[in-house]
Amino acid sequence: MEPTEHRLTISQLAEDFRWLEDHCRRQPDLVALAGRLRLASALTRNVVGPFLEGQPARPLHIAVVGGAGTGKSTVVNFLAGAVVAEANPQAGYTRHPTAFLPPGPSFPWPSFLGFLGPLQRLSDDQPANTDRDVYQVKRIPAREGAEPHPLAGCVIWDCPDMTTWAAENYVNRLLEVAGLADVVVYVASDERYNDEVPTQFLHLLVSAGKAIVVVLTKMRAADAAALVGHFRQEVLGRLPVSPSGAIPPIPVMALPQLTPDERRDPAGVAAPHRAALVQAIRAVCPSEDAARTRTVVNAARYLSVAGEGLLDVARSDLAQLEAWKAAVAAGQRDFEERYRREFLSGERFGRLDIYAERLLELLEPAGAGRIVSQLLWLLRSPYRWLRDSLYALVVRPEVLGVPEKTVVEASFQSWLDFLQAEALRKAGTHPLWKQLATRFAAELAPQARERFTHNFRTFEVQQRQDVEAAGQALIARWEKNPALLYSLRGGKWGLDVAIIAAVTYYTWPPGWLLLLIPVGVALTHQLAEWFIRCLVEGTRQRLRAEREALLTATLTQPLADWLTQWPSTGGTSLEKLQQVLHRVPVAIRRLEQRVSERVTTAFPPPAASPCPVPSVPKTA
Amino acid sequence: MSHNTTTAVTTPPAAEAPPVPPGLAPPASPPPDEPPLLRTLAPLLRGLERQLRQLLDSRRHDPLTLLQRAELEGLADDLRRHADALDVEKPLLVIMLMGGTGVGKSTLLNALAGAPIAAASFTRPTTRDPVVYFHQSVKPERLDPALRLCRLVQHDRPALEQKVIVDTPDLDSNDLSNRDKLRALLPVADIVLYVGSQEKYHDRLGWELFKEQRQRRAFAFVLNKWDRCLTGEQGLRPDEDWLRDLKAEGFEKPLLFRTTAQLWLDAAQNHPGPGLPPPPPQLPQGEQFADLRNWLELGLTRLEIEAVKARGVGQLLVHLHDAVAAARPPELTAPAERVQAAWQATLAAEADIQADVLVSTLEPYQTEVEHHFSVEGQMPFRGLMGAYLKLTTRMRYAGSTLRDRLPLSGWKGRLRGNRIETPARWNLDEFIHECTRTAGERVLDQRTTALINRLLIDAEMKGFPLALLAEATKSAGRLEDREQWTQAVIDALAEIERQATHPTGWRRLLRATLTLLGNTVPEIALVATAAWILWNFFIYGDIPDFFRMALIVVIPLVVIIVFHLLIILLLPVRWPAIRHQFRAELGQRLAAALERVYLAIPQQLAAAIAQERQQVERFLTEVKQVQEWLAARQQAARIAELYGN
Repeated sequence: MEPTEHRLTISQLAEDFRWLEDHCRRQPDLVALAGRLRLASALTRNVVGPFLEGQPARPLHIAVVGGAGTGKSTVVNFLAGAVVAEANPQAGYTRHPTAFLPPGPSFPWPSFLGFLGPLQRLSDDQPANTDRDVYQVKRIPAREGAEPHPLAGCVIWDCPDMTTWAAENYVNRLLEVAGLADVVVYVASDERYNDEVPTQFLHLLVSAGKAIVVVLTKMRAADAAALVGHFRQEVLGRLPVSPSGAIPPIPVMALPQLTPDERRDPAGVAAPHRAALVQAIRAVCPSEDAARTRTVVNAARYLSVAGEGLLDVARSDLAQLEAWKAAVAAGQRDFEERYRREFLSGERFGRLDIYAERLLELLEPAGAGRIVSQLLWLLRSPYRWLRDSLYALVVRPEVLGVPEKTVVEASFQSWLDFLQAEALRKAGTHPLWKQLATRFAAELAPQARERFTHNFRTFEVQQRQDVEAAGQALIARWEKNPALLYSLRGGKWGLDVAIIAAVTYYTWPPGWLLLLIPVGVALTHQLAEWFIRCLVEGTRQRLRAEREALLTATLTQPLADWLTQWPSTGGTSLEKLQQVLHRVPVAIRRLEQRVSERVTTAFPPPAASPCPVPSVPKTA
Repeated sequence: MSHNTTTAVTTPPAAEAPPVPPGLAPPASPPPDEPPLLRTLAPLLRGLERQLRQLLDSRRHDPLTLLQRAELEGLADDLRRHADALDVEKPLLVIMLMGGTGVGKSTLLNALAGAPIAAASFTRPTTRDPVVYFHQSVKPERLDPALRLCRLVQHDRPALEQKVIVDTPDLDSNDLSNRDKLRALLPVADIVLYVGSQEKYHDRLGWELFKEQRQRRAFAFVLNKWDRCLTGEQGLRPDEDWLRDLKAEGFEKPLLFRTTAQLWLDAAQNHPGPGLPPPPPQLPQGEQFADLRNWLELGLTRLEIEAVKARGVGQLLVHLHDAVAAARPPELTAPAERVQAAWQATLAAEADIQADVLVSTLEPYQTEVEHHFSVEGQMPFRGLMGAYLKLTTRMRYAGSTLRDRLPLSGWKGRLRGNRIETPARWNLDEFIHECTRTAGERVLDQRTTALINRLLIDAEMKGFPLALLAEATKSAGRLEDREQWTQAVIDALAEIERQATHPTGWRRLLRATLTLLGNTVPEIALVATAAWILWNFFIYGDIPDFFRMALIVVIPLVVIIVFHLLIILLLPVRWPAIRHQFRAELGQRLAAALERVYLAIPQQLAAAIAQERQQVERFLTEVKQVQEWLAARQQAARIAELYGN
């Protein structure tokens, strides 16, 4: 994969995720999936993309997340070692993420097309409650004479909450940064730690394979141990399985209710609290490369899991499409059934009778034999008259059935009517049907009719050839096979001659018994006629079957295929959905493969426990 | 102070000179001889409930959606609940605490009670079973059924005599069953105390529930853990922020109490002996727990309670009116007429095709039909003429008779392409049954489903919802079956026959004359010829020769043949002549039959729906009347702060 190629794949994949997310938000029962898709998109753009680009692991990103008022800003200040984040009594004050860079040597800010997606970097300093799709980057002021910052290679992100009513508008910014993060610090207060919304968010983070440190805040110091235990049991005990299959140990820390002094001086008065926090974070990221590799590998795994879950997104759409398909197929069945009953069962293929006549003529001798055969024809006349008059009495008059075109057109109209009625009936249940119902009369029906007319013309041309060809084949079989023809001809002649001879011989001298000659000759001819009629009847049956197959092949099946496809063509969301569903798993597989290649080449696989936990300076 | 859950508990009386909370008027005593407003309201509400249930139970042509039905059933339950709650001497005011886990709902109730009656702890969620705190004079049976299942705690504080305070489970923890319990309890509440904390005062889950409920009940707000809100940090204080949110929601001057319930509870527990415990020392600035208690005890007088109750009923009625109006069946009379016009054309075209199909099914049996007609046509002829006609008819239709007798049915059918087998003994009814059965199997059955689809689409295009018609047309289509076609064919044939055998106008005269002459002239000719021969024999002694004797037969025969020719020429019964007439007759009959089956459906449905609509309208006017009655008697109590706009 060329560098530009993976860029294309990444941006296409991120775009597809974004589209799917919008698609989910439009359907009330799928809104829950939208967050997962946004996270997938964020992981693609913010983690996998830069990694494949070969960007360095430094800086690691630490995101501080949690419910409103739980003390995220306080935790950020503790990590920064100075009061940098605005703590505000108002719940849900922070409305966009802010990155804090540690003092010391600067590192390149990640640059990748689509990094942090829709969020724009603010160039000037703005209050944390600026409610726009932006982020800020601030630098932590250096303390004079202090030792190097313990989290020197890390960016600390202060994030908005996900619990207040306004959070619906900015939870995407939170997901953007959570996707980027290598370590997530999950802050929960004694009031919030068992709340549903933050817990769901925690589940999402675990399923994305993020390294997580939980900080419980605000409890009385005496309750700290009990609270941590309760949290482990109630919340961590019910975590979903992470993409790697095992539930990684999640460190839980307690940060009891702080005095204002402690809050104001994280590096001084509150140093013990701070040291424990920093220690916990460094424990989950032993080295920058290892931490980043874990983030990327888990992100790729999450994507492949998310890719499998994509069918969930489309389930209802696909189910409706299936229902439409079934309706089209039912209509097709009805159409063919009607054709069979109304037309084909009564169709005699009259032109075949002409070929029967010609077959009969073939049995008559040519040349001089003509005269004899004319004589025999005369001899047979009384029998023929008798037979024909009797037949006329018995036979029912032929009735012209309904013409084929009328039957087919009426059946087609019923097919369309059935589909339209179906669409109208279900219009309230799903957007697909609604769209079908509204576009039916103006778009679908005329287009379908046009197609029908065209297909019917093809059908008519081919079927006319069919009958002719079948008749020709009958004749040709005899003409091409002189042996058969002459033996049949000779057989009939032989029979005639034998009868004449036998009658003459046995009734000699000639008397009225000579009348047996015309009778006998007529009988042989009748036999020949029956034989030919059976032949033609067989052809007729075959023609019926062929005609039906022809109808299916040239008319109904193409039409049914077209109708089935119709809802997912013409730039509809269903078309897009199908494209996306097709494209996304391929792109994910490609990225996953690429990531694993790069991981094994660029970073040799880490040994069981290669990185000892770095010691944290005890002094503050 | 001792409390337990089964017996009454003694609590200190309310403070003698309570400070009046801001925004509350001094309690006004009700006018002495005010009619008991709420008691008179109860039967009205019961009446409405009964009617609403009737509306719900009646089978509707325009069915309610599941959501509408659920909403209306909920409203009917609410009506009954209100009616039951009001139908007493002293109505109870239910005050319900609502909020996220850990905001201190239970602590608040404990502080109000002055003792730990509801479990409060640092583990979340704490309260799983709701606690109901009410006066000992109130029998538990008087409580709403939803409350009776909760933990009941009684007290003896006269100031809270008419009030029931309920502590509820949370609305935001991982324990989703708590949310369901809260939702089951909320309809009982008259006033909801929305409890928030510094962290949770505008959490989405609580806020959405509040927005959903705010049109239905009174709301007051408590910002508990007030000490945590006073951080000294820069920025909007939570109470100010919350007031801003509430203002945006339409609460201009909401009742908001800033409390630190834990301190008050601690103080109450440390205070032995009777009497009101003193306020705890070092209360944070602006703490208002005392105001909250005063408001509950003294601010909510009987007048206020009645007003809150009346307002609750009023809001319920508004809600009811809106919900019922939204479920009102559509007005369909005009579309029905348009649909009828459109259907007429469709049905006429369909009848035409059906007639064609039936006629062409009958076509192969034209000789049989002719035969039948001939026989019927010759009925009036008797004597020589009759005998002659019978004989010739039998001879002429020998073929069809013969065909039926020939044992060739097997391959005869095969050669003719599966046509109908006529019954061995000719029977018109059976034969036509057979014909329509075949036609139905081959063509007409499928056409019926197609026709219904066509009709439904026509209706939808003309503005008549397809869903309403689907069932009616389907069941009509089931009725409209082969019977109908058979009947139409038989009737049409009978009509043609009647026209042939009982013609009108000059044909009738002609036929009568022919019949009369045909029945008499051959006999007269026979007798005359015989008489003539006898006359000659007796008078002139003329012995008749063979030729003369033959004249006895020949002359009547000639006469008969002449008449036969006249009949054939003047009163023809040949199929080609009947066919056209028969086709037209059949077309008319089928059109009539189809119209009878389908054409009335839209109008009938529209009429039925209009009736339902009227019923709903009547109900709505009644709701309006009760609303007006209530508005006229609304008392001017200071409760406006509890409601937003």
